[in-house]
Amino acid sequence: MVALLFILFAGMAIGCAVSMVAQRNPLYGAISLIGVFISLACLYVTLAAPFIAAVQVIVYAGAIMVLVVFVIMLLNVEEEERPTRLRSLVPIAVVLAAVLFAEAAFIIYFVQASPSTPTRNISDVGLTSSIGAGLFTTYLLPFEITSILLLMAVVGAMTLARTGGLLPPRAVVVPGHQVLARDVLDPRAVNEPEPIHARSTAEVEKILGIEGAPHVTDEDL
Amino acid sequence: MTPQLSWYLALSAVLFTIGVVGVLIKRNVISMFMCIELMLNAVNLTFVAFSSFFRDVSGQLFVFIVMTVAAAEAAVGLGIIIAIFRNRESLDVDDASILRL
Repeated sequence: MVALLFILFAGMAIGCAVSMVAQRNPLYGAISLIGVFISLACLYVTLAAPFIAAVQVIVYAGAIMVLVVFVIMLLNVEEEERPTRLRSLVPIAVVLAAVLFAEAAFIIYFVQASPSTPTRNISDVGLTSSIGAGLFTTYLLPFEITSILLLMAVVGAMTLARTGGLLPPRAVVVPGHQVLARDVLDPRAVNEPEPIHARSTAEVEKILGIEGAPHVTDEDL
Repeated sequence: MTPQLSWYLALSAVLFTIGVVGVLIKRNVISMFMCIELMLNAVNLTFVAFSSFFRDVSGQLFVFIVMTVAAAEAAVGLGIIIAIFRNRESLDVDDASILRL
C-alpha cells in the first residue's frame, strides 16, 4: 500500500520536474514546480514526517511560489527562445550523462545489496513536539542564527528593491532653517555623510543642482 | 512491500539531476532559480528519508533550516532579478554575463 503511494507520488514528482524543465514559459514552469512540492509533501507523509510535510506546503508551495509567480507577473516575462550556440557539445553532454547515470546505478545497487539496511518502525521522530524539543534544546544556536539570516534577507531585499530616496520627487521642504540627511533627498548620494543645511525647497534644489525641476508650490496645496 | 531507503535516495538523485540539467540548459533567470529550488527539495527528501529510517530527528531539523535558507534566498534572489531586469530590460542570463552596468 505504502509502496503504491510511493510509486504514485514519485511518478508525479518526476513528471512535474521534467515538465518544469521542458516548459518554455516560466509561469507554466512555476505551476509544475508547485506540483513537485505537493507530491514531495505527500512523500514526507509516507515517511511519517507530518510536520515537515505541512511546512513544505505552507512555506514552499505557499510563500516561495507566490513570490516567484508574483515576480513573473510583475516582469512580464516572455517565452525563452531555443539556444543556438554550443550545439557541438551535445554528444559530449550525452556521454557525461551516461557516466553519471552509471555511477548512480552502481551506488544504488550496492546500497540495496548491503545487509544492514535499517528497517523502519513506528516512532515519534516526525512529530511536531519532538521537532520542537530538538529545535529549542540541542539546536538552539542554529535556530537563533536562522533568525539573524532572515533579518539580513529582509534588509537585503528592501535595499535591492529600493529605487531611490525615501521621499517622492514632488516632496517639499518645510519652511524654516533645518539640517537634512543628504541621501534622503538625493538617492545618488548614498555615501555622502555631509548633511544639507537649508531653509526652503528652492534652497535645497539649488544645493542639489536640480533648479527648475517641477515641484509642488503653495498654490497647489 | 514497503518502500526501502534506496527508493527515496534514487528519487532524490533523479530530482536533483533534473534540477542540475535545468540550471545548465535554461536561459531565463527565473527558470534557473526554480531549478535551484528543485535541487534544494531533492536534498530535503534525502534528509527526511534518512531521518525517518534511522529514527533520528536531526535530519528533519536540518530540513527546517534548509527551508529557511531557501526562503531567504527567494527574497534576495528575486530582488536581484528585479534589479537586473530594471537595468537591462531582459531576463536572459547571457545579457547579464558582465557584472557591471
